Amino acid sequence: MVMTPPPPAPLPALAGPRFLSRDGIQPLLDLLRADGRRVIGPTVADGAIVMDEIVSADQLPRGWGDDQAPGRYRLVRREDDRLFGYNLGPSSPKAWTFPSLVPISRATRSEGKVTFDPVLPEPPKIAFLGIRACEIAALRIHDRVLQGGPFVDTDYAARRADTLIVAVGCTVSAPTCFCTSMGSGPELTAGHDLAIVETEDGLLVEAATPAGETLLAALAARVATPEERARATHEVAATRARIGDPVALPGLKERLLAQPDHPRWAEVAERCITCGSCTSVCPTCFCTSVTQTTDLAGADVVMNRTWDSCFSPSFAKVAGGSFRSRPRDRYRQWLTHKLATWEDQFGTPGCVGCGRCVTWCPVGIDLREEAAAIAPVRPPEPVIAPVAATPGAFAVGRVSAVRSETADTTTLAIDRLDPAFAAGRPGQFAMVDLPGFPPLPISISRFTADGLVLTIRGAGPATRVLCGLQPGDEVGLRGPLGTAWPLDRVAGRDLVIVTGGIGLAPLRPVLDAVVADRERFGSVRLYYGARTPADLLFRDELEGIWPHAGIEVALTVDRAGSDWSGPVGVVTHLFDRATWDGSATHAFVCGPERMMQATVAALAARGIGAARTWVTLERHMECGIGLCGHCQMGSLFICKDGPVFSIAQLGDTFGREGI
Amino acid sequence: MASSAAPARPRVGVVKMASCDGCQLTILDLEERLLDVTERFEILDFPEASSARSAGPFDVLFIEGSISDPHQAERIVELRARTRYLVTIGACATAGGIQALRNWGDHAAFRDAVYARPEWVASLDRSLPVADLVPVDAELRGCPIDPDQLLELLAALATGRRPQLCDESVCQECKRRGAVCVAVAKGVPCLGQVTQGGCGAICPRYGRGCYGCFGPREGANVDGLLRHLTADLGHDPAEAGRLLAGFTAWAQPFRSAIDATGGAPEGSRRSLPMAPEAARRAAQEGAR
Repeated sequence: MVMTPPPPAPLPALAGPRFLSRDGIQPLLDLLRADGRRVIGPTVADGAIVMDEIVSADQLPRGWGDDQAPGRYRLVRREDDRLFGYNLGPSSPKAWTFPSLVPISRATRSEGKVTFDPVLPEPPKIAFLGIRACEIAALRIHDRVLQGGPFVDTDYAARRADTLIVAVGCTVSAPTCFCTSMGSGPELTAGHDLAIVETEDGLLVEAATPAGETLLAALAARVATPEERARATHEVAATRARIGDPVALPGLKERLLAQPDHPRWAEVAERCITCGSCTSVCPTCFCTSVTQTTDLAGADVVMNRTWDSCFSPSFAKVAGGSFRSRPRDRYRQWLTHKLATWEDQFGTPGCVGCGRCVTWCPVGIDLREEAAAIAPVRPPEPVIAPVAATPGAFAVGRVSAVRSETADTTTLAIDRLDPAFAAGRPGQFAMVDLPGFPPLPISISRFTADGLVLTIRGAGPATRVLCGLQPGDEVGLRGPLGTAWPLDRVAGRDLVIVTGGIGLAPLRPVLDAVVADRERFGSVRLYYGARTPADLLFRDELEGIWPHAGIEVALTVDRAGSDWSGPVGVVTHLFDRATWDGSATHAFVCGPERMMQATVAALAARGIGAARTWVTLERHMECGIGLCGHCQMGSLFICKDGPVFSIAQLGDTFGREGI
Repeated sequence: MASSAAPARPRVGVVKMASCDGCQLTILDLEERLLDVTERFEILDFPEASSARSAGPFDVLFIEGSISDPHQAERIVELRARTRYLVTIGACATAGGIQALRNWGDHAAFRDAVYARPEWVASLDRSLPVADLVPVDAELRGCPIDPDQLLELLAALATGRRPQLCDESVCQECKRRGAVCVAVAKGVPCLGQVTQGGCGAICPRYGRGCYGCFGPREGANVDGLLRHLTADLGHDPAEAGRLLAGFTAWAQPFRSAIDATGGAPEGSRRSLPMAPEAARRAAQEGAR
């Protein structure tokens, strides 16, 4: 059978945008009203362009613009007669789709019996006129939050059920705008019925839904010319260029959530009045409270849902007090919800970049500035390619100096190494190999200009041979490998280091960094324990260099001799009675795993939480680069994902027996 | 005197100290709703409304006015002893009132300047909130108080629940009502951010700045507001501090901020001319 090709489908009529003069807006208003809708659009009132019911085009802010800055808004006259030549004012569609006060239930209580009658609204059909792309994005966020999950806010659903949207693409922008960063504008992409772009020519109107098509058809406007269309495209593109990209969104969530203790939270709290203006003007903030209005008998009750704010004192209050009593806690709650945790809850950030919280903050706090200060974009850490990154290839280093630290521990200085080793970071290790012996992971206890320093306890045949090397002997090395102590995270903060025995070795580069740039850190305290006084490593540093550099050093031993007058006992006893505040302190811990468990518990009891406590773990390693499988712990390879981990990262695998 | 209503009706009194009676008038202005109140509460003593008097004891006693003279200071202690729930109403009772501006001044000079026979006047050198002398169970802020808050408190008392009194800023009330912020849009200095709501943001809704008659809200960051007004907007510090020197000036942290900025009321440290009558008598005594 011979198939004949189907006839070509007729091309759809090229709809394209239509052209309306500015005066053509009144017929559109009339059509919307004839459809039984209340039209909510922009108008000038009380020194701002606000949204209100519009019945006549005369109410539109023709020829008005605005001048906005953090904490400042002024109406200004434009030099032209544009209808939509202004930026967003304080009010948003939220006031209609999610009003500030709605009754949600009427209830009674009489002689022990109670009744509840949920109040369902009978909202008017609404047409929003002139709302922008960022506001549509905000409505779509509310759709997800309030009716996108298993439970639906029936009041919102009823109000949102039949809203028609005549949106305006932005050909103006305010210095407070950042929709471009949040992916919500300035172009109209979805969620509207009719799209208007206003240029010097007039209004270009395009339908996006059947309802929009119907309206457009009834307007009987001519098709816009290519020149008119080009100007509209150009003006919106120019708006995007003007706004730029003020907030670095990629990775912002992670960067922000990594900073629960940043000092900036306290600094912004000194400026923040916690008035809640930001949450009220935010088009996505949805937190509410239910208030109960009763008659004097308490029998007839009206339950009202009202806008609340995480900045209110009572917002997080229970009997006994508030969970977020300090302004810094409330600011952090708000900012991290908007820009980070919202994404986990609802799939997008809770911010659309409309900039209202910036303009309408009475003291001019700029969310963009705070986010950038608290969660700055750092240049990506240079990837330090380890030397000889296959299990069989080793770089050769030469032992330049040997120092006996204790009866069983020796420090080897190794020079003439590949410069990549010198670029290593505190906490990293090297795989060390003497041909004939198994390769061993050894912590790097110092980085030098042309090499590194290894401190080795002779615990088995291979380590004992390493301890016996002499200057001039050669050794095979791969590294530096693994993760490092997070010095950037603790910069400017107080640091507590708790360690025991040979565990001081991987922490010595941290203390070197503190000595090299003491101003970079807050207080630094070292708590160090050894079996006996003779087992203390690095005596020169412990007794001279570190205390001189302003590091508080406290030592303890398990067993003392007559030459020891210091404390005896476990290392955590050294800070049992310390007076420092752990609420903003960070801790680095290294030692036997049982000792680290006890220490982590003691630190937690002093307020240093899991996200601020790091440990370094030891496991059997053959390759050091995640290929041999020996060092697996849960979902982690200690060699490649560690050896330095935060306790938060380890979760309950830390200290669990048999993992 | 025995009431025919159920004996369970809480017994209520309304007394005044140093005040203008405006808050008591707010009670009377409840009009038809006042009838509901009298059904639920037995009003024992309310001299503004009735000449029938009683010395209590009271289940609920509303105190209007600040403690401004030694007699009031004694009386409030006696009243407290006869009262289960003592509720202060209005800026005078809760914060010392506008008359607390004299707390920055020379009390004796003021008295001698105003009264012809100052020796007949027994007054304290400070106007104090009631809570400085006796424990207070609840307070209704404002100059005057808000009738809806009054009814809410009465309804809560009648049903035995905690009253839902606003602890948020005036800003939130402004925003809920769709009012445009006068501070941001007009540059009007406004205390709404640091002031406890409950008023319905009346002043900003009529285009003027909040002057703080409901007093400082919990944790009010007055320093932050003053820094913004002076460092960012260029207001003179004393002028900014003077914004706080109104109906609730004596309430902390307004009081400390007034001191820190030098915003104490104009003339409070100046010696005042004596009243003509007092001057005449002083001259006579001097001649004698």
